[in-house]
Amino acid sequence: MALDRKIAYIDLSTGEIEIKPIPLDVRKKFLGGRGLDAYLLYNNKEQGCDPLARGNTLMISGGILTATCASATARTHVMAKSPLTGLLGSANMGGFFAPEMAWAGFHHLVIKGKAEKPVYLWIHNGEIEIRDAANLWGKTTTETQWAIREELGDDEIKSAVIGPAGENLVRFANVMTGIKNSAGRTGMGCVMGSKNLKAVAARGTMDIKIAHPVDALEYNKRFINQITSAKVNQTQGTLGTPFIWGATNSWGGIRTRNFQYNQCENADDIEPERIDEICEETMGPYHMTGCFGCQVHCRAQYKIPSGPYAGKYDEGPEYTSQGAFGGEPDCKNAVTVLTGNHLVDQYGMDNLETGSLISWAMELYELGIITSKDTDGLDLKFGNDEALLEMITRICYRDGWLADTLADGGIPASEKIGKDSFSYLIQVKGMSNLHSDERATPALALNIATGSRGSDHLRSRPAIDLYHLPEEVLRKIYSNPVPYDGPLSSEHTSYDGKPWMVFWQENCYMGVDCLCICKYHTTFLGATLPNFEDWTKVIYYNTGLDMTPKEIWDVAERCYNIERLFNLREGLQREDLKKGDTLNHRYYDEPCRRGAIDVIGATIDRKKFKKMIDEYYGHHGWDENGVPTPETLKRLGLDQEPSHLL
Amino acid sequence: MAIDTEKLSGAESLRKTRTYGKVRCHNPSCMERLQPPAGADHIKCPTCGMEYRIYWVNPNLPRIRGPVWDVNRKLAEDKLASINKSKSKKAAKKGGD
Repeated sequence: MALDRKIAYIDLSTGEIEIKPIPLDVRKKFLGGRGLDAYLLYNNKEQGCDPLARGNTLMISGGILTATCASATARTHVMAKSPLTGLLGSANMGGFFAPEMAWAGFHHLVIKGKAEKPVYLWIHNGEIEIRDAANLWGKTTTETQWAIREELGDDEIKSAVIGPAGENLVRFANVMTGIKNSAGRTGMGCVMGSKNLKAVAARGTMDIKIAHPVDALEYNKRFINQITSAKVNQTQGTLGTPFIWGATNSWGGIRTRNFQYNQCENADDIEPERIDEICEETMGPYHMTGCFGCQVHCRAQYKIPSGPYAGKYDEGPEYTSQGAFGGEPDCKNAVTVLTGNHLVDQYGMDNLETGSLISWAMELYELGIITSKDTDGLDLKFGNDEALLEMITRICYRDGWLADTLADGGIPASEKIGKDSFSYLIQVKGMSNLHSDERATPALALNIATGSRGSDHLRSRPAIDLYHLPEEVLRKIYSNPVPYDGPLSSEHTSYDGKPWMVFWQENCYMGVDCLCICKYHTTFLGATLPNFEDWTKVIYYNTGLDMTPKEIWDVAERCYNIERLFNLREGLQREDLKKGDTLNHRYYDEPCRRGAIDVIGATIDRKKFKKMIDEYYGHHGWDENGVPTPETLKRLGLDQEPSHLL
Repeated sequence: MAIDTEKLSGAESLRKTRTYGKVRCHNPSCMERLQPPAGADHIKCPTCGMEYRIYWVNPNLPRIRGPVWDVNRKLAEDKLASINKSKSKKAAKKGGD
């Protein structure tokens, strides 16, 4: 059956490998993917340990639907204590790796210890081997994947790898697969590097038995129709995710020049339509591609059209690269965005963190807090495309004082730089914010302040709040699968009902991450996309697991609370500006200066925001400090954790 | 659990709320639905005055590519000036600067 995939415990210090089944009762409590990883992390990591020490534990997983007939079950989840934040590390990537790992017999890897020299894991039809990676060390992410295929003689091998950034312990290094698919937040590649683990390679031909194959295929047609008929996915299939940046920039929700402006004006050359033109010019009319089992095809293919990297092939850029190498540093040149995207993909480095930290350094440079002596002569001004690209490479190789400082992440860098640098750092829990500006959107501000892995748009963002949907539509979405009759507002500038929307989205995204399907297939950017009710059918037909929408909701809530317990154990405190559910003071103190007429002047109201957090904690069953109450833990069956069931 | 081809899930039932051929004004307190003529490359919101460039994903699916930048800048500067004026008045009333 689909649920017979195993869990493997791999100790890189001793070379011991233990393979176990995943009991059905554990599945029912945590499903798989991110949810089960959270359980495993809470149970297997040494409390308070250094994220780069042997005591940190790294999980790599697929979800319970991975490699089944269900649509877009491509996601691979990676989790450990984050070397960037010191709290929960969690990242998720598309591509083809997790399905291959499932066909090779595994859903979860729990990797402990540290190898004495560089190694990689080779997973093949129920077996796991630790192999020498001396010849892979130093290679880029794509070079590594091809070298593994060549060494093992199979071009169908899929690998999750690190690049030079992970080897150099850049604290926001990615785990990557394919050309650009990145588990790219919270520095999971750095954890791999600290364990001398260069790659995990998988190849499998083991069947996955579908519980009800005819129904699964029949229902999937309906599911796919729902996905592909959505306007948002038709747009993504044409322009890719850059359309999100374009739309957000249009109304003034893009942070620019670090956080000085909320709109990148006259940015025609980096708008999605222009990037699409370059993709078409360099790759032809059919330049969109997709991940395993996905019909949306939001990933563009391109070659860099000019400059020192002209002719280099890459994929994307995602909207995050547009923000990181376009809007934030105010570099309005498509070639710069495409080149920056290519560099971080090859180095295996988080585009968001890289672009954000460089933009922060640019503001510090213009303010005189850092000088040309600190930058080794680089004129690190906003809009200096060459300086931006140079800094990306320097950070990867920790080349020079500033690059080495930034490679340790924003908070340690601010402590090293000193002066007033911290107050300009746009971060939550030590992780830089997405390139979006949430001053006009209280719901989105709440979402980034409370995200379990730091500032994050993929953990709880009620993006449909921006669509001005009628209240009855909002109520239809947000009152299922648990009833809610509190306030809901169609106005995205309002504070009313937003804590519930954020809470609901948290559970929705946790559900998606336990199934390991893509967020573009749920209530993220489209109001008419599937969620809990639809998932019950997909899960049942594919795996045979019969769950109600409410039971899936409960799993999601349980898993989110495990993440909260982990963060509290590692030092999260509500009001802590470095580890808490807080926002940078600029959200409250500096009004928006650009964008649509009624965005101008917007700030977050401090008192109302505090009330929102109280309300959000209340929905969770947490006390005023954000700690789950004993009643909540009991209700969710977490009162005995860590329980070491698995 | 048999497939009920008649019964729609909550998400499926919302399909009927989809609108085609229209975009929403990006101004938060406006959000007027605008229907650009087929193939049009820009549109002005009759309610709030914001002006947008239009891109067609397909012949039935327009999207706002972005604002018309000089109109956008002018509206922003006017609004900022008005906010600053109002702040100065309040400060003067309180006896501040």
